[in-house]
Amino acid sequence: MKKILFGLLLVSGLLASQLGMAAADLEINTPAISALQNSMQNRHGQLASFYTSGAIGLTKDGLIAVKDASAVPLKDRQSLNALVAAENADRNKLYKEIAAANAHPEWEAEIRSTFAQRWVQKAQSGWYYQDASGWVKR
Amino acid sequence: MSLSYAIVVTDTYLQVFIHLKAILMQPLAKWIGFCWLMLACISAHAVSQVSISADRIEHPQFDAQQVKLALTLNKSPILQIKTQVKAKADKDWAQLNVNCQVSTKIQTGRWDCTQGQFKTSRIDIPFDLQISRLYTQGVPDVIAGIHFKNAKYGDEAGLHAIEQFTGDLNINAKQQGEAWLWQTTVDWQKGEVFWQPFYVAEGGHKFTAKGRYENDLLSFDTTRLTMAKVGELALEGQLRTSDLKLINLKANLPSLNLATAYPLLFKPLLEKTAFNNAEMEGKVSLKVDIQDSEVKTFDLLLNDVNVADNNQKFAFYKLNAHIPWSYDTPQNVSLNYESGELLDMPLGNTAVKAEVNRYAVTTPNIRLPILDGALNLSDVSAARVGGQWVWHLRAEIEPISMAELSTSLKLPRMEGLASAAIPLVTYNNGKVTTDGNIQLKLFNGVTTISQLTLQDPLGNTPKLNADIIMRNLDLGDLTRTFSFGAIEGKLDADIANLQLQNWKPVNFDAAIKSSPGKYPKKISQRAVENISALGGAGAAAAVQRSVLRFFEEFNYEKIGLNCKLRNDICYMSGVESTAQGYVIVKGRGIPAITVMGYNQTVGWADLIGRLKRVTDSNSKPIIK
Repeated sequence: MKKILFGLLLVSGLLASQLGMAAADLEINTPAISALQNSMQNRHGQLASFYTSGAIGLTKDGLIAVKDASAVPLKDRQSLNALVAAENADRNKLYKEIAAANAHPEWEAEIRSTFAQRWVQKAQSGWYYQDASGWVKR
Repeated sequence: MSLSYAIVVTDTYLQVFIHLKAILMQPLAKWIGFCWLMLACISAHAVSQVSISADRIEHPQFDAQQVKLALTLNKSPILQIKTQVKAKADKDWAQLNVNCQVSTKIQTGRWDCTQGQFKTSRIDIPFDLQISRLYTQGVPDVIAGIHFKNAKYGDEAGLHAIEQFTGDLNINAKQQGEAWLWQTTVDWQKGEVFWQPFYVAEGGHKFTAKGRYENDLLSFDTTRLTMAKVGELALEGQLRTSDLKLINLKANLPSLNLATAYPLLFKPLLEKTAFNNAEMEGKVSLKVDIQDSEVKTFDLLLNDVNVADNNQKFAFYKLNAHIPWSYDTPQNVSLNYESGELLDMPLGNTAVKAEVNRYAVTTPNIRLPILDGALNLSDVSAARVGGQWVWHLRAEIEPISMAELSTSLKLPRMEGLASAAIPLVTYNNGKVTTDGNIQLKLFNGVTTISQLTLQDPLGNTPKLNADIIMRNLDLGDLTRTFSFGAIEGKLDADIANLQLQNWKPVNFDAAIKSSPGKYPKKISQRAVENISALGGAGAAAAVQRSVLRFFEEFNYEKIGLNCKLRNDICYMSGVESTAQGYVIVKGRGIPAITVMGYNQTVGWADLIGRLKRVTDSNSKPIIK
């Protein structure tokens, strides 16, 4: 009987911790989050063709990376690097802000990995993303 | 060295098959020597072509395979080389082809090689090579020149690439005892280069260098890089070639055109700073002294420089500065600008003098004129710790007229004065913290801002935290400024735990109420309507329908409104609670009016929308 009770407690404890995390509101909005979303949305127009050409791809940790700079004319490579750096700065801030807006700064890592999966799910076919084996074409 | 070969001699044709397994000792010299031996051997024969092929040649630094040499023998012999080569560390083979008109005088004669090509999947370098001399009196003394024609190079990651490169490389290297004396010129005529993080779109640049190479040490003096439209860089120093360590370097850029140098040289290096998206012009000169790969001293001069951020966050005009720096001795820095702007705030003529002691900057006083007042910074001390700047200072605002300040900040024009005395302002880890109060004399009252902290003010997620206390604001001035409808009286406001993100409020506990004391308290019909309108359209209409619409103004006892902002919701209350809601304006005497609020919670965006509609509609002329 004790064992069953203990088991029940354990299961409910696990469930509670899962539910706790599930309560993270990824759609939460604050001026900082919307400023970051705007900034990322404005940048997306410039990044879209680089995703399509395979010059950049989505990384496992919810960021983007230059996959093959040679897919881009020389004159655009500098701005490509700058765009990737700026996008990653925004993404890092976004995960932090969403965790902070949920009043759980310690959730940042989980939010990041949830977003990493979301970005890949939302990626258009032909775009590249990283998994455990390396770059994969969607 | 193991070598096996077969020679087939016919009347007109000679073929040599060689299998070189391991040639370890000076293989190239032996290889050339061997070829010449062959030439010498066969010169007696009446042959017109010699072909030599080797399956594979190995060398400590490189490998060659499918080596084919064909020597056509006539008055001016031609050596045709076709081989695959690769550096030991490389995976991929490169095809090397070249045709050389060979001099019979091996040491002093001229080699003219044309139609040369070095090709891999990512590299394609067509070239011509001239070797004018190999030896002088038995001592190596090479004069050679390579002309590149539309050469292309790219590394695997695409971070270093050259396209359509046309130019000349000339080398003169002479052996002197153990040392080599060398000089070289590179004439970059055409072509674009991306060498992360730098990009150069077109040619017109020249590089000349001369020096000595001895015992792993490459010394260079009178080295000059002339970049078209940008300026000239002079260098001298020593480089250890085994680990590419810069033993010492003196660099001098006497006059750099900042308008062209900024995008080319500085922007890529400032990518992670606030200066990564600006327009710059003016002249810069820079001297740098590096020892053991560390900067020992530098001396930077800015001459009539204009800097303007493309996002309009800051600008400095007619900036002149002398910034010397030394690792060993403290230096005096001076900087001044004629005018500028910081977050829409105009900056006047400013001169700064400071002492730089290695990674710390101190100055007793900086006065930044702002409009008719100034920001006085004193006991300024900044230091670079662990790759980040940390600073602290004392700040004082000499009264600035709010009329001008509010106009330049694109706010409604406010009368009054802003002044402040902040005993300690610190900056650490991207955050500005103040210890002390900023006092604004606004609307005939006093506004005190305390506990002010500011994070990432120039970035895309600026954050501000503060507590604000306002006392005895003149409601007449206030309502006129914001076109709200006239209210006479005085107001106290407490805004605690204010948090702004991207300059928008996300959190506060605000309480606005009539100031204590005796003074006339009157509220206009329009103000009543407007306050009611904040509670929703229905409430305003109710007032208009009532008899109260016949009165211009009313007396009131007190006004009060509280808003606790959390998660975009404003939790509202007033001076008193009633069963239905809360009292915002409590009337007194005749005619008296009481304005009620019924919504305990209002969406912040809704409230701002309503407030904006109210102030907008009131600022428009009403034509009847």
